[in-house]
Amino acid sequence: MPTGSSGADTSWLVALLWATLYFATPLVLAAMGGVFSERSGVVNIALEGLMLAGAFVGVWAGQSSGVLGLLAALGVGALLGLLHAFLTQQLHMNHVVSGLGINLLAAGGTRYLNQILFPKGEHIEGLPANFFLFLALLLPLVTLWILHRTRFGLRLRAVGENPESARMAGISPGPIRYLAVMLSGVLAALGGAYLSMGEAHNFSRDMSANKGYIALAAVIFGKWNPLGAAGGALFFGFFFALQTQLQISGIQARWLGVDWSSPFLLDMLPYLMTLVALITVVGRATPPAALGQEEE
Amino acid sequence: MRARMLESGGFWRALFSVLAGLLLAALLMKASGYDVGAALSALWSGATGIAPGPSRGPNQIPIGIGAWKAHLDKFVLAQSLARATPLIWAGLSVALALRGGLFNIGAQGQLIVGALAAAVVGMLGKGSEAGGDVTGGWPPWLHVPLTLLTGAAAGAVWGAIPGWLKARRGVHEVLSTILLNYIAADIASYLVTHGLKDPNSHSMAPQTGLMAASAWLTPAVPGSNLTVGLLLAVTAAALVAFLLQRTALGYEIRAVGLGQAAAEATGIPAVRTLVVTMGLAGALAGLAGAVEVMGVHHRYVPGVAATYGFDGIAVALLGGLTGSGTVASGLFFGLLASGASGMQRSTDVPDAITVIVQAVVILVIGVRYLRKRALPPLVAAVLDTDERREEDADRI
Repeated sequence: MPTGSSGADTSWLVALLWATLYFATPLVLAAMGGVFSERSGVVNIALEGLMLAGAFVGVWAGQSSGVLGLLAALGVGALLGLLHAFLTQQLHMNHVVSGLGINLLAAGGTRYLNQILFPKGEHIEGLPANFFLFLALLLPLVTLWILHRTRFGLRLRAVGENPESARMAGISPGPIRYLAVMLSGVLAALGGAYLSMGEAHNFSRDMSANKGYIALAAVIFGKWNPLGAAGGALFFGFFFALQTQLQISGIQARWLGVDWSSPFLLDMLPYLMTLVALITVVGRATPPAALGQEEE
Repeated sequence: MRARMLESGGFWRALFSVLAGLLLAALLMKASGYDVGAALSALWSGATGIAPGPSRGPNQIPIGIGAWKAHLDKFVLAQSLARATPLIWAGLSVALALRGGLFNIGAQGQLIVGALAAAVVGMLGKGSEAGGDVTGGWPPWLHVPLTLLTGAAAGAVWGAIPGWLKARRGVHEVLSTILLNYIAADIASYLVTHGLKDPNSHSMAPQTGLMAASAWLTPAVPGSNLTVGLLLAVTAAALVAFLLQRTALGYEIRAVGLGQAAAEATGIPAVRTLVVTMGLAGALAGLAGAVEVMGVHHRYVPGVAATYGFDGIAVALLGGLTGSGTVASGLFFGLLASGASGMQRSTDVPDAITVIVQAVVILVIGVRYLRKRALPPLVAAVLDTDERREEDADRI
């Protein structure tokens, strides 16, 4: 990560801001996936597994060419998205059960393959982190445009708010939701690919580390709105960055007999702030009306 | 045809999902070039302790018939049953919450909190040691129940938080429980590196001091991790089933699980019920933690929770959210995990294969076919038999 080169006083702040952007990047990308899925009425806690699968496949297929790896990662995201759509729409599975199942499938599958294929770890060239950062800056606007300025977006919102009315108006919810959830898978896998291809340049087991759930929290925090969700992702990214920067700085803070600079308490910071954000915001947030409802 | 089979009852449906999971695991092993026969045989003997060959040592009981020599290794079986114990507790926690309409993904954190609290109480009452004799220590009949209760209470408090957040602030419990898992693990790690750090350890090991022997559970087979904790878990399963089916509180929990608004309309205090449900679920997970520290580690160590809390989700779903089903599926997943460790040691097949089996089980068992009635949305997704649906429809 680039660090500021200006004066000694501001360099810490500059580093914090850059770190915020990089930590927010995978969250923003996955959160956009969450927006598409949830606005169409499908709860997507599978974001976590979709990210993890994307991270793994990006490394696995991206050993010779980063672009190839990225395309494969997006492909596997689309496939798992298709599975989530099939299970929830065709087989009427509870959305959370399906999401948990897919998350376990991704966790088990990547652990298994990682142990067999890369027993000593695998370093890859990957793709520049700034490529993903650029996409993370661009995609919230694109998502907003798609949702509000295209026929697909209009239909997607209609299906998510009231599938019955949508059906009366001649819009079949099924295909729209399939597309939305597959798109969700592609975007979550893109976020996962950033973790392995753009940041770590290898794959480590469970490297998504619940970022998919944090991205979903960002969606709710942003009231299911693309720009709001991106804002939520930046907010959480800031606390991940702050935690890292505080640990690097080696700052000591003791108060009331508690060592607040302990790495464990700092590690807790982003999760605690996410929870606080959910507590203070969610009461006022209204989800898409048909979110999580099963098709009759 | 297949759809009919899956509809025709919980047991067959569960069996089908397990066989599908094991079949996929076998295919995956085959595709990765492993000797599937050897792997499955290692899985079986690692899980059950039953292996071919004459018995050796005091722990092995000969069970062969005639010329076919085989033996049952008591120690291996005990370790497998010990592995099942926390899974049954965690499965009960998830199942109870889900009957009340809540996804408890937080059994992991509740287990950690319960384990730490139990370890702290377990360290009390050591008495004074003089010349090898301990005097003034607490008696086990007091210390053991007290330690268990403390673990349950701590888990209950940690579980009640997401229940309250859901009821009062509308925070989805899947998100709040996952965040609370991190927070619990971090706070526990902080405490065992600071205030609760093992005073006798000069190493950097982040753990509490040793608990008093009066708070230990004794192993059923010497040297193994199997304790009375398994019996307690089975008893708890019966109590949970009784609570849900035969008590007013159980009725309220299930009613809220069927639909919060409808339950409120019939005069059931939904907010209180959500908090109580999650509190009870947290207590069960907390007991998992207490039993682990009392029976296995005799102190709090950071890895005490392993992934038991998460595994509890698959256990509960496979068990059809019933008490007896949870015991059976907990035993199955415990044996599977134990067998997979043995399999990894002897044939190099990654034990992550068990996670894939869990995933397949969840995805197969969660499938709902076309019967549509006034089904409770969450419960119907996982509850199995038509009989049970009728039964619940009658009671609610």
